[in-house]
Amino acid sequence: MPLIDPTVVDLSRLQFALTALYHFLFVPLTLGMTMILAAMETTYVITGKQVYKDMTQFWGKLFGINFAIGVATGLTMEFEFGTNWSMFSHFVGDVFGTPLAIEGLMAFFMESTFIGLMFFGWDRLSKPAHLAITYLVALASNLSALWILIANGFMQDPKGASFNPDTMRMQFNSFVQLVFSPDAQAKFVHTSIAGFVTGAMFVMGVSAYYLLTNRHKEFAARSIRMAAVFGLISTLAVVTLGDALGRLDDLLQPTKIAAIEGLWHTTTSPAAPWLVAALPDDKTQSNVFEIGVPYVLTPLITHTFDKSIPGLIDLEGAAGPKILNGIKAIDALQQYSTTHDAASLATFKQYEDDMGYGFLAQQNAPNQDLNAITPAEMPAVVQQTELDTVPNVFVTFWAFRIMMFLGFYFIALFAFMAYFSLKNQLENNRFLLKLCMISIPAPILACEFGWITAEAGRQPWSVYGWLPTFQAASSHNVGYMVFSLIGFALLYSLFIAAELYLMFKYARLGPQSHDHAAPVAGTGALPMFAKPGFAAKSWE
Amino acid sequence: MKTFTKFLGLAVVLLIAIVLAVLCGDYGPWYFAWLVGTTMIILIAVAGGVLFETQLETQKKGS
Repeated sequence: MPLIDPTVVDLSRLQFALTALYHFLFVPLTLGMTMILAAMETTYVITGKQVYKDMTQFWGKLFGINFAIGVATGLTMEFEFGTNWSMFSHFVGDVFGTPLAIEGLMAFFMESTFIGLMFFGWDRLSKPAHLAITYLVALASNLSALWILIANGFMQDPKGASFNPDTMRMQFNSFVQLVFSPDAQAKFVHTSIAGFVTGAMFVMGVSAYYLLTNRHKEFAARSIRMAAVFGLISTLAVVTLGDALGRLDDLLQPTKIAAIEGLWHTTTSPAAPWLVAALPDDKTQSNVFEIGVPYVLTPLITHTFDKSIPGLIDLEGAAGPKILNGIKAIDALQQYSTTHDAASLATFKQYEDDMGYGFLAQQNAPNQDLNAITPAEMPAVVQQTELDTVPNVFVTFWAFRIMMFLGFYFIALFAFMAYFSLKNQLENNRFLLKLCMISIPAPILACEFGWITAEAGRQPWSVYGWLPTFQAASSHNVGYMVFSLIGFALLYSLFIAAELYLMFKYARLGPQSHDHAAPVAGTGALPMFAKPGFAAKSWE
Repeated sequence: MKTFTKFLGLAVVLLIAIVLAVLCGDYGPWYFAWLVGTTMIILIAVAGGVLFETQLETQKKGS
């Protein structure tokens, strides 16, 4: 019986992917809405106009619903590292735990405290003080995302740590290297600003609904103006930063970039086409059909006109020597763990950089035991492991393209909306308003597909080059995994249903001006939670 | 005294901003870009809102 059950590994991956994707339905909206609220409240403080305060309060209420449910969905993932990914936690916990702990402090102490002040402080704080609190909420929500992305940056490009053969774990060398890792930096900026796009589309889409239904028109027109401008600049920034991230992937994770581009063979000329669409077949390692634009790929990926981009088949071949070295490293490590002699340690150090490839070969060894590989079996094990070094091309290729095509669609939509808002012709463009409404979930989808690109493209590694995903999982039985997977799916679907119900309910009711309204029984004097339907709309 | 305190407060903010810019510029260029870019995005959105009010005022005066 194999030590690692591939079905358990697949179910663990599915469960983590499911919880992460569910959680990520909420996160981008939180990241973006806080910044939009800051912009709206700044306008209120500058102009002194009541409508901007009402805008901040109304959109703040929708943000509050999203935040409350979103936080709950994120909690389980931190526990999953212990329950489903115990080998991962053992191997990199010393490094990975630090940013995760700081994220917990950011989210539950800084962010939650300031959110409380933001919601309940309208009548208790001065205008500038409340504005400062709103900015702190925006900063805190984005900073909590920063630490998660620093942790993820380590998985993509493990910097600031080294393997200790005595403890058999990765250990911290440099906190600064971890925090300032180029991958973490680029990913944070790209993800955070993708959240801004999501927030802007949400505000624009709901406001478009009000214009279409002839309600709250002054409120909606102002909201669209601010959201369209905010969204347009954010989308331009996201596309630019995505290019920076692609350049980093070319330097750090060539298998990911080759999978994103559906590139099986190394490019030999600057005329190599960038594939707009293709049907990559992972089994035959070729594209069944492809439509490409010549002379785009090389400058896009390498930022030059003459460098070649390695293809997946060549990258597989290049992994062969690393696999052999990795097997030697594991062998030396096993010897060192029993003898602690200098010779084994020296041999291990010689091949240490390729240790991860030795782990990767383990799944193809007889009984998952590298020592059991006979010289006659070795070429077959190496060849099989070479094939395992590349991610699923079909998934990575299309996840990236859906994200990217949506990104360009957002630029066009925000640009048109900003233009018609400036021309005061929004209400004449009902088609555009309807498009805004139905586009509300599109940035969330783009974020999800971006996340799939990043994570699927990193495979077969959980920590790139060091720890294969199949070795990072816990040992459970299949029944336990299926049971918990179904439990998560049901629970999270309930969360989504609650979110959609509340969002639709409060978005349909629309904004209220609470200034001259008497509190309704049970609502106290809290304007954020005042019941709708009784207030005068002083700004219309 | 109040003006002096305000001046001192702003001077401290300026100092922190400069230190942050130097540190971020050297070690975390993308973090620095995020700080500057996010500030810019918010301010331009605010400008869009303020411009809306100006356009409205102009329209009212014109009619």
